[in-house]
Amino acid sequence: MQRLTIEDLKNIKEKHKATFALREGGYRAKVTVHMGTCGITVGAKDVMDALINEVKKNGLKDVTVGSAGCAGLCGREPIVTIEEIGKETIKYCDMNAEKMRKIVVAHLIEGKPVEDYALPHQKDLPFYNLQELRVLQNIWFMDPESLEEYIARDGYQAAAKALTQMTQEEIIKVVKDSGLRGRGGAGFPTGLKWEFASKVQSEVKFMLCNGDEGDPGAFMDRSVMEADPHSVIGGMIIGAKAIGAHQGYIYVRAEYPLAVKRLQIAIKQCYEAGLLGKNIFDSGFDFDLEIYQGAGAFVCGEETALMRSIEGKRGMPRPRPPFPAHKGLRDKPSVLNNVETLAQIPLIILNGAEWYKSIGTEKSTGTKVFCLAGAIKNVGLIEVPMGIPLRTIVYDIGGGMRGKKKFKAVQMGGPSGGCIPESLLGLPVTYEDIVKSGAIMGSGGMVFMDEDNCMVSVAKFFLGFTTDESCGKCVPCRVGTRILLDILTDICEGRGKEGDIETLEDLCKDIIAASLCGLGMTAPNPVLTTIRYFKDEYEAHIKDKWCVAGVCRDLCTFFIDEKLCKGCLACLRACPSKAIVGEKKKPHRIIQELCVHCRSCYDSCKFKSIKVLPAAAREASEAELLQLAGVATPTGV
Amino acid sequence: MIELTINDKKITVEEGTTILQAALENGIKMPNLCYDKRLKPYGACRLCVVEEEKSPRLLAACSSPVAPGMVVKTDTPKLRKIRQTVLELMLVHHPLDCPVCDKAGECDLQDIAYEYGKPETRFIRHRKEAPPDIRGPLIELTSNRCILCGKCVRICDEYQGRGALGLIGRGFPAVVQPAFGEILECDYCGQCIDICPTGALLSKPYKFKARAWFLEEKDTICPFCGCGCTLTLGIREGRILRSRGKEDNGVSGGNLCGRGRFGFDYIYSENRLKTPMIRRYGELVPASWDEAMSYISDSLKSISENYGPFSIGAIGSHRCTNEDNYMLQKFMRNVIGSNNIDSSAAFGYALVERAFGQKGHHIDLKSPLGKEIIFILESDLSITHPVFGINILRAKREGSKLIIADSRETKLTRHSSQWLRIRPGTGVALLNGIMKIIIDRGLFDKEKVSKVSGFSSLESVLKHYTPDKVSKITGITEEELMEATEIFAKAKSRMLSLSIGISENTKGLDTVLAASNLITLMGDSPDSLQIPAEYSNTSGLYRMGIRPDGSTGSPGNGKTISEMLYEPDTIKALYIMGEDPVVTFPNSIKINETLKTLDLLIVQDIALTETAKLAHIVLPASSWAEKEGTFMNTEGLAQRVYRVVDATGQSLPDWQIIRNLAWTMEKDMGIKTLEDISREVNPLLVSPFVSSEKRVFNPVLYTPGEESDADYPLTMVIRDVLQHSGSMSTRSKSLDLVVSEPLLEINEEDAERLGILDHTYVRVTSRQGTVYLKAKVTDTIPDGTVYVPTHFPHGRVNALTHLSHNGEIPIDIVKVEPVKI
Ligand SMILES: Cc1cc2nc3c(=O)[nH]c(=O)nc-3n(C[C@H](O)[C@H](O)[C@H](O)COP(=O)(O)O)c2cc1C
Ligand code: SF4
Ligand code: SF4
Ligand code: SF4
Ligand code: FES
Repeated sequence: MQRLTIEDLKNIKEKHKATFALREGGYRAKVTVHMGTCGITVGAKDVMDALINEVKKNGLKDVTVGSAGCAGLCGREPIVTIEEIGKETIKYCDMNAEKMRKIVVAHLIEGKPVEDYALPHQKDLPFYNLQELRVLQNIWFMDPESLEEYIARDGYQAAAKALTQMTQEEIIKVVKDSGLRGRGGAGFPTGLKWEFASKVQSEVKFMLCNGDEGDPGAFMDRSVMEADPHSVIGGMIIGAKAIGAHQGYIYVRAEYPLAVKRLQIAIKQCYEAGLLGKNIFDSGFDFDLEIYQGAGAFVCGEETALMRSIEGKRGMPRPRPPFPAHKGLRDKPSVLNNVETLAQIPLIILNGAEWYKSIGTEKSTGTKVFCLAGAIKNVGLIEVPMGIPLRTIVYDIGGGMRGKKKFKAVQMGGPSGGCIPESLLGLPVTYEDIVKSGAIMGSGGMVFMDEDNCMVSVAKFFLGFTTDESCGKCVPCRVGTRILLDILTDICEGRGKEGDIETLEDLCKDIIAASLCGLGMTAPNPVLTTIRYFKDEYEAHIKDKWCVAGVCRDLCTFFIDEKLCKGCLACLRACPSKAIVGEKKKPHRIIQELCVHCRSCYDSCKFKSIKVLPAAAREASEAELLQLAGVATPTGV
Repeated sequence: MIELTINDKKITVEEGTTILQAALENGIKMPNLCYDKRLKPYGACRLCVVEEEKSPRLLAACSSPVAPGMVVKTDTPKLRKIRQTVLELMLVHHPLDCPVCDKAGECDLQDIAYEYGKPETRFIRHRKEAPPDIRGPLIELTSNRCILCGKCVRICDEYQGRGALGLIGRGFPAVVQPAFGEILECDYCGQCIDICPTGALLSKPYKFKARAWFLEEKDTICPFCGCGCTLTLGIREGRILRSRGKEDNGVSGGNLCGRGRFGFDYIYSENRLKTPMIRRYGELVPASWDEAMSYISDSLKSISENYGPFSIGAIGSHRCTNEDNYMLQKFMRNVIGSNNIDSSAAFGYALVERAFGQKGHHIDLKSPLGKEIIFILESDLSITHPVFGINILRAKREGSKLIIADSRETKLTRHSSQWLRIRPGTGVALLNGIMKIIIDRGLFDKEKVSKVSGFSSLESVLKHYTPDKVSKITGITEEELMEATEIFAKAKSRMLSLSIGISENTKGLDTVLAASNLITLMGDSPDSLQIPAEYSNTSGLYRMGIRPDGSTGSPGNGKTISEMLYEPDTIKALYIMGEDPVVTFPNSIKINETLKTLDLLIVQDIALTETAKLAHIVLPASSWAEKEGTFMNTEGLAQRVYRVVDATGQSLPDWQIIRNLAWTMEKDMGIKTLEDISREVNPLLVSPFVSSEKRVFNPVLYTPGEESDADYPLTMVIRDVLQHSGSMSTRSKSLDLVVSEPLLEINEEDAERLGILDHTYVRVTSRQGTVYLKAKVTDTIPDGTVYVPTHFPHGRVNALTHLSHNGEIPIDIVKVEPVKI
C-alpha cells in the first residue's frame, strides 16, 4: 500500500462502501464468523471453512463472507451473524461446521432462517439492547486484519484530525473535557495525565500501552487488541502527539498470541500505509511503535514495573515519585494508558467531548467494558453506559445465575477488588459508587458467585493469586499476603480459631497502609469485603466448623434428606468413592465413613435433597442427622 | 532550599532531599533497613513510613522527596503499630539464630527489632528453607537470615557495576542468589557484606572468630593501592580479625575493595621474619640484632673505604611509611654520603614527573565526577585504583560519557559509551591520531594554543598520523576514531586518565607525554590528565627524596634503579628496604645476576622474599599495622597509620632499624624518636601539589614494540589482578583463596590453534627466559595476545620481561606451548 493521505482515507471509505454495502445488484447478504480467542478455541475456524466451501459450492456470488471479533456472548461461541438487505440481522450460536452447512442452504438459499440455532432477535435480547457499544462497536462487525475495513469504519480519521488540525493543547483539552478516566483500574483522568507529561521538557518521551491484563478471568483488553487493534494504535498516535512522544510500546502479555499477531499485522499495515513512522499524514509528526511481549507476571501491569520490564530488567515496582510523567521508561517522561482507555480516544477526538459525556454520570463519563464470568448465565463481554445499576447487569444483561441459582456476590476489580453482595446491587456502576462497597471498579472483570460459593474460599482463592504474584519486594505484601493466606487456609481446613477474624482485619489494614505498590495496597480487599458482608460464613467456619456451601471439604457433612430424595440414582452415579447406597425410586443414603466430601452428589442432585451439615455431624447417628438437617443454622444467622 | 516541619521542628533542606535524609541530617532518628545513600531509593522495608498532613497515604520517607510546607510526623501510635507489624512480618521467616550469628551485636535488624518491635508474635510458621550457601571463597550467604532489603544486589549492580547478585523468584519464596551460576564469582569486594543489615552476608575468613562486643575497632590506612582508603580494623586479643569500611569514613567514604577488606592477613603469613638473619656458609641463619648491626656497620664502612660511598646504593619502598623512607634516604645521603637511591616509582611516578615537573600534576579521586567526557587509555582503573573506578562508574551513571581505549574487555569497557578496542601498546598512535583530527578539523582554540611552545613541531610530528594510518596501527576503524575524537573534543569538560607503573607494560613516558599534549591542545588544565600513583605510599616516598638526584644538596646525581639492578658491577653494596625486585621488577634473570655480583646485599623486609633469599643479611621489619607513621595517597594526602597490633618476633619499624644502624656506625642523624623524624618530614607532607601553569608540547612518535614473529608469535601484556597488589598481597591467605597463581590468559582461538585447554599448564618462552604457567582460555582478550600478572613469586613471570634501553617496561613477545604430561 502506498502512503495514505487524508484524501485517501475518504476515498477508501467511499470505495469500500460502494463494494461491500449490501444493496440491490451488489451483495445481498453478509455472513460474519466471530473469531476471537473464545470463538477459535471452540471451532470457529471449522465453521469458517465450512461456510466458505458451502458458499463456493453453491455459487453464491452475492453473499460476502467475513470475520470479526468476539460477539460478546463468549459462552455461546462460535457465533455467526447474517445480515441481509431489509431483514432482521440474525445471530446463530453454538455453531459447528455441520450447522453452518445447513444454515447456508436453509437461510441463504431457501430464505428460511434456522430458528433452532438462532439467538432470539437482538432487539428483544436484553443482553444486547441494554448495551451501549462504543469501544466494541467495531469488534462485532469488522475483520481485524483488514486496514481497509477499519478505514471504511472511519478509522484513522481521528488521528488525521489530531495530527493535522489540532495542537497538543487542543487534544488534551478535548480529552480532559470528555471526563475520560483511565480504564486500567485506578481511574485517573487521562487528559490530566497527558497534560503532566506534555509539560515536561524532554527530547525523548514515550507513549505506552498497557495490554498486560493480569486479572484472572478478565479479557476485555485481549478482545479489543484482537479484534480492533487499529483503534488502539490510533489512540496511541493521538496520545503521542499530545505529549510529544515519538516512540511507543504496546506491552502485551505473551500468553495472548492472537492479540500479538493481530497487533503485529496492524502495525505492519500502518508502516506500509505511512500511518506510523516518519511524517504521518504529512503533518511533520513522527511516531514509531513496537510491541513488547511481557513475561506474564501480574505485577508487570503496574506502571513502574512495566517500564522496568521493557528496559529488560526484573519487573518490580519502584516508589513514586518520580512519577512516570517525569521519569518513566529509561528515565524519560512517559505516559502509560490502558488498552480500553486508548481505544476510546479516537471516538472522543472525532465526536467531541460533549458527545462522549452525553452518557454516564458527572464523574464517570462514557461507557465501560466488562467481562462477565463465573456463575452468571450470559458469560461474555459487554459494554454498558456508566451509571447503569449493577442489578441490571446481573439480572438483565447477565440473565441471572446459571441453573436458576441464587445470586450471592459479584467480585469486581479482580484480586484487587472486592465482593459486592445482593443488598448493594442497587449501586450504579461508577468509580465513585463502587468504592463505597469496598470493591473497586477495576479494569472490568466481574466474577459472579451463587449460593454454592463459599466466600471464605473465594477470599482464599484471590489471596492465593496475590501471594503468588507479589513481586516480593516489600515486606507487608511479600510476607503479609502469605500470612493472610495461611490464616484463610487454616479457617477453611478446620484450624480456624477465635480471634482469627480480628487478626485478619488488623493485618489487612496494615498491609494496605504500608505496601509499596497497588498490588499490596489492594490485595487485602477480597478478605475485607468478604468479612464485611459474609462474616457469618467466617464464623460458621471457625466456630461451627461448618462450610455452609459445602466447598471446604473438612468442614462439611453431606446428608440426603429422605423426604426430598426421589431415588433418581444421579448422586449414586456421581459419587467417585461409591459412598452412596440406594435403589431406584427409594431414598438414598450416604455412608459417612466412605464419603470423601467431594461435593459431586450435591451438584448432581436436581431436587436439592442433599444437605450440608457441619463437620461434626459425620459422627452423628442417622436420627441425629435427620434432626440436624431440619433445624441447624450456622452461628450468626 | 525547602522548608518543612518534622515532628514540630522547622527545618530547611536542599531541594531533592528525601524526608528520610532531611530527618537524619537534623538528628531525627528513623528506622530504616533498605536505605543507603549510595543507592537509588528502593522503598522495600517500609519501616521508614511517616505521616504527612496533606497526604492521604503514609509516605515511605526514604523515597519521598521533601516539598515546601510539608508537616511530617515520624513517630505516632499509628506508625509505631505499622512498624511493629512490619517487623513482625520480617521476623516470620528470620531464623533468630543470633546466638550463632556473627552479626549479632552489630545487626541492624536486631537493633531495630529491639527498639521498635514487640516481644510477642502472632505468626510463628514459615521459616524459610535455606538454600545452600554460596560455595565461593570469602563471602557466605545464609538466605534464611535475609530480609530481602535488596541492598547487596543493588550495591553490587548499581554501585560496583558488577551485578553478581540477583533476586531470584518472586513473592514469599524470593531469595538473593548469585546472579549467574551456583557459586558467587565476582570481584570479592565484600561491599555486600558491609551493607547487609542482617547476618545473611558474612565474611568467611571472619566466621566464628569473635562476638561483635569483644571486638576492638581501630582505624588505619589501607596498605595496598594509592587510593589510601581508611580501614576499620577489628582486633581481638592482639590479632586483627577483620577489616571493614564505615560509612563516610576516609577518602573512599567507607567503600573498600577486596584487598583492603580481606588482604590484611598478609601480616600473618608463615614466612614473616622474626629475627635478623646472616648468611653463614651459604645459609641464612638467625642472628641477634647486635650481631646484625655490627655486621652491616663493618661491611658498609669497609666498602665505603675501599670503593667510595658511591659504590653503595639503596632502594626505598612504596609499602613503607614516609618516615621510614625519609630515614633511608637521610641515612644514604648523610651517613653514607651517596645519592644512589631509587625505587619502583622510577617505572611509573617518575615518568609523570618527567613529563610535568614535580608540581605539574594534581590527582583527585573525585575528578571523574561531573565531567562530560571521561577518556581512559589502556588502563583498568577499577582494578588498580578501585575508588577511582567507583567514581568513574558513578560519573557515568550521572550522565558522563565514557570512552575506553583498551584491548581487553574489562568492567569499564562493559560500562562504556564507546569502547575503542585498540591493539595493546598503541596508545601513543591513538592519541596522536586524535590530535591530528582535532587540529585538522579546528576543534581547538587555535588562537591561544598555537602560541604554546612546541606547537609547530607537534603539528609536523602529527602529519604522519592520518586516520587511515592510525586505524592500521591501532586496529580500530577510522569512523570509530573520528567519532571518539569529536565527542572528546566537543565536550565542555574532560578527564583523560591512565595508570602507569611497574606491573604494566603497555604505556611509558611517551604515553604520558602524548596524553599531556592532548590536554594542552584542548587548552585544559593539567589536572584534566589524571595519572594516579600506584601504591599506598608511592607519592610519599618520592617526596621523601627516594630518588637518585641531588635534591638534598649531596654531590651529583646518584645511580638509578636501572643501573643498580641491571648493570652488574655498578655498585658493590645494596640496601633494599621493603621491596622485592626479583619478583616484581622486569627481567628478574638479569636482576639475579646483578645481585649475585654484590659484595653486600642487605634486605630489610617483613617476610623472607625471593630477594631476601639472595641477601647476605636480612633484617626483620614490622608490618604496616605494627608501627606508626604516615602514608601519602595519590592525591597528596598524608594520612596516619597506627600501630594496632604488637610487632611480630623481634621485628622493628624500618625507621628504627636505620636509626640503630646509624648509631652502630657511630653517626648521629639527629634522630631519636619518631617525633624527631616527623619534625623534618611534616613540612614536606603539607606542601600541596600545585599545577604549574606553564605548558609546553613535547611531541612524540609512536614506536612500535617488538613485532611478533614466527618464533615468538604472541604479544604478552602485563596486567594486575583485582585481588592483588604487588607481591605483598600474595601472602594473604584470604586473597589467595580467590587467585593464587598467575593465570596466563589466552584467546579462545589461539588456544584452540595451539592445542591448549583451559586450566592446563603451558610453557611460555620469551627472549629472556621460560616459565610454566596455567592457561586460562577466555574471550575477553583479542587473539594474538596473552595477558598475565606479575604478582606471584612462584610464577616468575618477570623472567620473561625485559627493561628497554631507556628504562621502561615494554611489551614482550612470547611463544606459548602446551605442556605434555
Ligand atoms: C499490581 C497491578 C497490576 C496492574 N495491572 C494492570 C493491567 O494488567 N492492565 C492495565 O491496564 N493496568 C494495570 N494496572 C494499572 C496500571 O498501573 C496503570 O495505572 C494503568 O495501566 C494506567 O492506564 P490508564 O490510566 O489508562 O488506566 C495495574 C496496577 C497494579 C498496581
Ligand atoms: S506491594 Fe507487593 S507487588 Fe507491590 S512492590 Fe510490594 S511486594 Fe511487590
Ligand atoms: S563482593 Fe562485591 S562484587 Fe561480589 S557480590 Fe559482593 S558487592 Fe558484588
Ligand atoms: S542478603 Fe542482606 S543485603 Fe542482601 S537482601 Fe538480604 S538482608 Fe539485604
Ligand atoms: S528505608 Fe524506606 S522503605 Fe526501607
